[in-house]
Amino acid sequence: MDAAASRPAVVIDNGTGYTKMGFAGNVEPCFIVPSVVAVNESFLTQSRGPTKGNWLAQHSAGVMADLDFFIGDEALSRSRSSSTYNLTYPIHHGQVENWDAMERFWQQCIFNYLRCDPEDHYFLLTESPLTAPESREYTGEIMFETFNVPGLYIAVQPVLALAAGYTTTKCEMTGVVVDVGDGATHVVPVADGYVIGSSIKSIPIAGKDVTLFIQQLLRERGEHVPPEDSFEVARKVKEMYCYTCSDIVKEFNKHDREPSKYIKQWTGIKPKTGAPYSCDIGYERFLGPEVFFSPEIYSSDFTTPLPSIIDKCIQSAPIDTRRALYKNVVLSGGSTMFKDFHRRLQRDLKKIVDARLAASDARHGGEVKSQPVEVNVVSHPIQRFAVWFGGSVLASTPEFYTACHTKAEYEEYADTALPYSLSRKSRYLLHGHLPPGAFRHHRHWLDMTLSSE
Amino acid sequence: MGSKTATTYESVEGGQNKTRTDIHSPEEVGGIEVDKQDEKAPSRFLLQILLNRVQNPDKLVELDCHSVEFDDVRYHIQFSPKSPQFLLLSVSLPTPPPETIFFSGLPFGAIEAVKAAYGGVVQILDPPKDGFNLTMKVNLTKLPSDEEKQHSFLVKLASVREVVLGAPLRVILKHLASRTVAPDVDRLVALVHRPKESFFVVPQADKVTLIYPMRFKDPIDIVLATSFLQEFVEARRTTGMNNAPPCQWSSSPPLELRGATGHALTANAGFVTIVIFPRHVEGRKLDRTVWSLLTFHAYVSYHVKCSEGFMHTRMRRRVESLIQALDRAKPDSDKSKKTTLARSFKRLNVTDGRSNSS
Repeated sequence: MDAAASRPAVVIDNGTGYTKMGFAGNVEPCFIVPSVVAVNESFLTQSRGPTKGNWLAQHSAGVMADLDFFIGDEALSRSRSSSTYNLTYPIHHGQVENWDAMERFWQQCIFNYLRCDPEDHYFLLTESPLTAPESREYTGEIMFETFNVPGLYIAVQPVLALAAGYTTTKCEMTGVVVDVGDGATHVVPVADGYVIGSSIKSIPIAGKDVTLFIQQLLRERGEHVPPEDSFEVARKVKEMYCYTCSDIVKEFNKHDREPSKYIKQWTGIKPKTGAPYSCDIGYERFLGPEVFFSPEIYSSDFTTPLPSIIDKCIQSAPIDTRRALYKNVVLSGGSTMFKDFHRRLQRDLKKIVDARLAASDARHGGEVKSQPVEVNVVSHPIQRFAVWFGGSVLASTPEFYTACHTKAEYEEYADTALPYSLSRKSRYLLHGHLPPGAFRHHRHWLDMTLSSE
Repeated sequence: MGSKTATTYESVEGGQNKTRTDIHSPEEVGGIEVDKQDEKAPSRFLLQILLNRVQNPDKLVELDCHSVEFDDVRYHIQFSPKSPQFLLLSVSLPTPPPETIFFSGLPFGAIEAVKAAYGGVVQILDPPKDGFNLTMKVNLTKLPSDEEKQHSFLVKLASVREVVLGAPLRVILKHLASRTVAPDVDRLVALVHRPKESFFVVPQADKVTLIYPMRFKDPIDIVLATSFLQEFVEARRTTGMNNAPPCQWSSSPPLELRGATGHALTANAGFVTIVIFPRHVEGRKLDRTVWSLLTFHAYVSYHVKCSEGFMHTRMRRRVESLIQALDRAKPDSDKSKKTTLARSFKRLNVTDGRSNSS
């Protein structure tokens, strides 16, 4: 095998909110940065600009701009301090929308953060279970053609999350992954390492909505947060102070009885004037996470609580897997990190299941007593980057390198395939024409991981 | 239209070269590039871990991390709550080519450089950990107590790559600054650049000549790198670059390489010669010059990748516009289904298309 296989693989999990990146074999990602790019817009306008006059001057501005961009926290601070930079979020709802920005983002991840030569490493990237094959091809194209990676594997996020759970607690590869990220929430049933595609449920409420809700609450109460900063403040408040309550009415009472114990203070500095300000953080501490359990307080379009979505998802899965699925509900993603989130979820889910059992018992008139269903919501300390950790575990097995798609395979395939995807030689790649077995060996792989341990 | 696109590609590369040359003449560079440059030598990964460790002294968690940098430099950092005052940092260097000289796994002068840079805080373990060239035991209790000094010390510690690999070059350039030649050096010194590849240094009292054989794997990278390097040399001649080190590119080995072995004389992207004068290594400039010269290949390779990325951005946009044009040209097969509204849109598109193509 080539020299690249002797080096640890690079594992990058691009989420809507945060990107987790690092080397396989480590327990934690090396860097967790917001998935955002600050681009100097003069580059974009220049390349489109029809004005002929001083295109040279325009052009030399564009020349710098091509390399003049930042990602992550640097991007956020740059865009705040200067108007030259515009923020672009390349990923929306778990799907890559802006490939130019995404390519630059990866460029910085590889060269500036991890500081590695992409030709030296195999890569493991992740995608959501609902990603279209075209986007997978775009990813392959950028990775192989721009960065010349020797090998690439694109894994499905929930399967990785389940694999991460496997190594901390001893459970099998069957379970429901509740992945609540910043931009997308998926409930994905997995049986023996296979995703049950037809039963995947998505919810239009995710971490970002919690942030927006908190922002709205702060605004409605008239807290003095500068408008240009309010989203960031709401995000910080969410990450630092929010928790899940067991009962919303009781919680309101608790807050009213002992405000000093529950109300927190937030202090910041106004970005424009530099003057300090402070505001109170009250009910939003528990109302934020509550949008998952009572969505009607946030949106009138979508009102099904998360526990009943999970229940529906399991009920639509094959009947012989259901008990095993209830037994292993795995949380993943940053927005499941609220204190006691798993307890609340487990309690609500158990309530639904018990009610159904009681109803069916009643229908049978007490003649047949059904066995109680075990409901178990699993929470583990690495929840925030469970997907990344699963990727790190899988990519550190020797089998990973044989399951990867190599550059040679890619070139062979790209020559025969597909309409309108760009490529250096204007190759046309054809969709629906994946190489035999491509991206389909999750099961196979996980088996190997299990046996190697 | 087509020809304009082509020119744009070329001149863009030229422009990038400018930013490139800037690295060798940092005093001429505008804001951003310098900012980025300042942070380059320390490894972000090491610095983050070190800062994290020092800033949270009470949070004792087991730590065992690996990282690999460009040119196959590997780091391994370990910390155990059992001995909270120590931190183990191991570094593995690229496999040296036969023409370079290593003393017990380290370049010439590296041990002295480490001792000089880190003093009593760091103890070098002999032998190093298995698979690594250098293992250092960092005593966290001996770190400078002043916050600013402590930070700059950690930055220095994260720049261990520069300290170790750059040691021989630093010795040579220090002598250049005092306009002398180190007593015991050869006429032609080979220093490790990348795994199994070296660059060559010809030390003289008034100037130091560096020769880089440039090698790339991918055929397209070779083409891009070659044209890039030619423009790189060209950019040096433009106004405002008078203080930058002179550089040359040639497809055949330059005369200075006489006497080098066969492998050193083959390079598929030509040879770059850079001449460093005493003014380039004065005072604080020395650190930056050593780092830039040490990582020249990585720098070119990074910009080759960026150029490819930039071209792909352009091509993606072009393909999109072509697809739009194609879509407009499609005959209306299901015309019967179209509503009046849709038809009026169609007509608008056709005129659009005409004005575009003219």
